[in-house]
Amino acid sequence: MSTSRRRLLLAGIAAVPLVARTRAARAQDTDVARLERLLALEHRLGSAYEAALRRDAIEPALGEQLHEHERQHVRGLEQALRARGGLEPRATVPLPELGASLASRPAFARFALGLEAEAVAAYEDALARLRSPRLGRPLGSIMACGAQHGVALRGVLGEPLLGPGA
Amino acid sequence: MRSSLTRRGALGAAGLALASCGGGDPPPGGGPQPGSGAGLLSSILALEHASVAAWGAIAEALRGDALRYARAIVVREEEHVTRVTGLVAALGGDPVEGRTREEYARSFPRLRDEADALRFAGDLEQRLVRAYLDALGLLPEERQRRIAAEIAAQEAQDLAVVHVLAGEPAAPEPFVTGTL
Repeated sequence: MSTSRRRLLLAGIAAVPLVARTRAARAQDTDVARLERLLALEHRLGSAYEAALRRDAIEPALGEQLHEHERQHVRGLEQALRARGGLEPRATVPLPELGASLASRPAFARFALGLEAEAVAAYEDALARLRSPRLGRPLGSIMACGAQHGVALRGVLGEPLLGPGA
Repeated sequence: MRSSLTRRGALGAAGLALASCGGGDPPPGGGPQPGSGAGLLSSILALEHASVAAWGAIAEALRGDALRYARAIVVREEEHVTRVTGLVAALGGDPVEGRTREEYARSFPRLRDEADALRFAGDLEQRLVRAYLDALGLLPEERQRRIAAEIAAQEAQDLAVVHVLAGEPAAPEPFVTGTL
């Protein structure tokens, strides 16, 4: 094998992971990937409120309301995903911290506040990067609801409703 | 729809929108390109200027915790003015300036008591949330959309605080000002 052919071959082999990484990055940078990530976060929130209701770790009326909102968000995101040919992600593994948070209502409120903040930040990021302008308003509408959940949870904790970083 | 969205409150918010975006405000300068988002951002900026004045008027009708929250929200609205002003200026635009407090006050409803003030505040915040959510699908640049999303989340929180002060759930609806 000539030196130049060997060089070309080696360069080709070296380029494979780069191409794969580029393809993977491109796949992550799609509206479908963003919707799937948001759906996973909404599933996680829904599961958390469901567990809290079962263990009386949240006041029932508030828990039912927040849980119902998450169900509606999941339904809306699934609809948006299906319209774009996306795959619905499988159920997510509950966070290990969930178990400990169910010990008391304040502990769960603190835990849920963190989850809601993470979800709002994910929506903000997704909204900034969206390719489809049609998704802007509906996703923003869900994000706004998540921000309001944070206010409700700060109320449970007896903290100022507009907390730091709010 | 919330029961507090009365005709009087809605008229007040509509008057505010007219006051903020009416013909008296100068149009964006000649710098920005068409489709840059400068026109839309200028409209939002005018609304934010009006909101600072409106929250000042709302605060005058409130006491105790409600007054403290109103003052905090005035500061947040002023921060929004600064952020949106920065976006317009970055496009080479000429950011609109606010009118005098007296000029804005003419378009506000009469706030006789705390209930009137909270109704007006609720209508105002709904209008602000809607303005930013509508902008999310229209602004061309990622940075513009990121800032619009961050402010929209804050406006939704302000709206939730108004709900709580009015004795309502913080988050009454799964989709704030719209549906998927």
